[in-house]
Amino acid sequence: MATNTLTRNLRINKMGGQTSRLFVHAVLISLGFLYMYPFLWVLAGSFKTPSEFFSSGPSLIPNQLLWDNYVYAWNEGHFSTYFVNTIIVTVSVTLLVILFASMAGYVLSKTQFPGKKIIIGGMLALMFLPGGYTIIPVFDLVQRMGLLNTLWSIILVQTAGGLVFNTLLFMGYFATISKEIEEAARVDGANLPRTYWHIMLPMAKPMVATVGLFQFMINWNSFWIPLVFTIGNPSLRTLAVGIYAFVGENSTGWTYIAAGAVMSIVPIMAVFFFLQRYFIEAVAGAIKG
Amino acid sequence: MASVILDRVTKTFGDFAAVNDLTIEIRDKEFLVLVGPSGCGKSTALRMIAGLEDVTLGSIFIGNRKVNDLPPKDRDIAMVFQNYALYPHMSVYDNLAFGLKLRGTPRMEIDRRIGEAAEMLGIDGLLKRKPKQLSGGQRQRVAVGRAIVREPKAFLMDEPLSNLDAKLRVQTRAELVKLHNRLQSTVIYVTHDQVEAMTMGSRIAVLKDGILQQLESPQTIYGQPANMFVAEFIGSPAMNFFDARLVGKSEEIRLEGNSFDLKLPASKAAKLTGLIGKQIVMGVRPEHLMERTNGHRVDGDVLRAHIDVVEPLGSEAILTLKTGGKDFVARTAYSSELRPGKEIDVVVDMEKVHFFDPNTQAAIR
Repeated sequence: MATNTLTRNLRINKMGGQTSRLFVHAVLISLGFLYMYPFLWVLAGSFKTPSEFFSSGPSLIPNQLLWDNYVYAWNEGHFSTYFVNTIIVTVSVTLLVILFASMAGYVLSKTQFPGKKIIIGGMLALMFLPGGYTIIPVFDLVQRMGLLNTLWSIILVQTAGGLVFNTLLFMGYFATISKEIEEAARVDGANLPRTYWHIMLPMAKPMVATVGLFQFMINWNSFWIPLVFTIGNPSLRTLAVGIYAFVGENSTGWTYIAAGAVMSIVPIMAVFFFLQRYFIEAVAGAIKG
Repeated sequence: MASVILDRVTKTFGDFAAVNDLTIEIRDKEFLVLVGPSGCGKSTALRMIAGLEDVTLGSIFIGNRKVNDLPPKDRDIAMVFQNYALYPHMSVYDNLAFGLKLRGTPRMEIDRRIGEAAEMLGIDGLLKRKPKQLSGGQRQRVAVGRAIVREPKAFLMDEPLSNLDAKLRVQTRAELVKLHNRLQSTVIYVTHDQVEAMTMGSRIAVLKDGILQQLESPQTIYGQPANMFVAEFIGSPAMNFFDARLVGKSEEIRLEGNSFDLKLPASKAAKLTGLIGKQIVMGVRPEHLMERTNGHRVDGDVLRAHIDVVEPLGSEAILTLKTGGKDFVARTAYSSELRPGKEIDVVVDMEKVHFFDPNTQAAIR
């Protein structure tokens, strides 16, 4: 009798559990759809004609798969050029930030030198400066260096902007690596640069992946700096700035904007797809401390 | 291989002297153990030899060359770390090869040395694995292998067995000694474990508060400790100390304690005549105390004690005893008669007792 009651209670609990799980899933799926809807709408819009774009409202299904918007954006909208520019800028900045931030982070974390605390304090203070305050002196500096209207200007400014936070990230990561490993390398005959290159940097792979992914996303989508430094030479525009060029004084090519947006989002999604394991590892590691 | 000399070496961190005026000559091909409790300066001394810490005062010589200002890579030493410090992203082969590659050793020579070391250590099947795929014992072997392939002038080992479980530690201890015999290398080995020190060292240097207490062979350290610290630190369970006063005349000197009155044998009495009437500390190792049996006739070597704790170890037992308010430990043959609460007569092997000055704590010989 008692066994029967127990079994029945368990069954009820199980059913209750299944119902609540279904409910949770329904809520999560709805929320997920709500999040994705604008992206799906843009994707659908990129296949629509301008008149359909305005007449079909929130519909996610285009009448036909019209590739004209992509062809126009790629050729007439110069997205082919913007695409190359964006790759050059993003890849360069990402690699430079990883290289310089990890080197600086390593030195700040593992070596002792006078003024180290002041440097770290200064870097922390810099993080609180809004970008808008520095753009005029930075613009002036780039102009004096003769780099205005070159991709180098964007690369240098974006790299510098990415260094502070990521140096601190690397510094924290290197601090967790046992001192003995570094000493073993010294006894084995490695000097500081070799220890960094052969031992420390490979050991910081999760952090390299995280910083790389963040930098890739930030720079791919970056708008403000590329806009300011390419204003005099449209052929240097990046995708994010290029999309904005479809906004005209009298009319705006919304379907071209949609096609451009899809083209600029796809690569970043692919990068995330390949690096998400490291990304999750690093974020989980950061939470665990 | 080469000798290593520490000549009046001092290392200070601020006002604190981690190593204080340390002079040790480690002979060529010797297995020297630096032993002492935590914070005694043994690891700091080793790290100074390795070049990982600067020397504040004094000189260090490796093979007659002063190395004070040389970086670790130019000292031609290899080190085995407590946590092994293997490079986690490299395979076992690359871990072993790293130091050789940095020195520009030809590929064939690297392969030959790694092959030899791997075979010697029984890790030849693991060369492609990463450290995280190895057990603790295997990692320890790789760490030793990394040192061997370098063919250095001296091996420095910083508590390399302390992360192994008890059984593996005993086994690896013996293997390291065999390896030393085979390689005929100079080894400087740091440990806080006096059993490791006793079983492995050709000589033992006992340190306390950065100061060398005694540097002798294991048997001498055990049999003739220089002071109460060495006497207590070496030997397990530790030596017992009893406060006593020397009374009597030169032909019959007695030790009068709180709850005992013991007679000194002639061999000991001769050296202590000058101290009659003075306080002294008597040291007795637990293995030199035993329960009195019916056959025991000698007088003046027995003290009455109360059993507090019995720890049977099979054939023998460790007894925690109390006499005159003083706890002490005896290691004696086990019998089921030994029970807590029982009063027994304990025989002291008076030929093997030690004496110390209560003020300086130095041995009186």
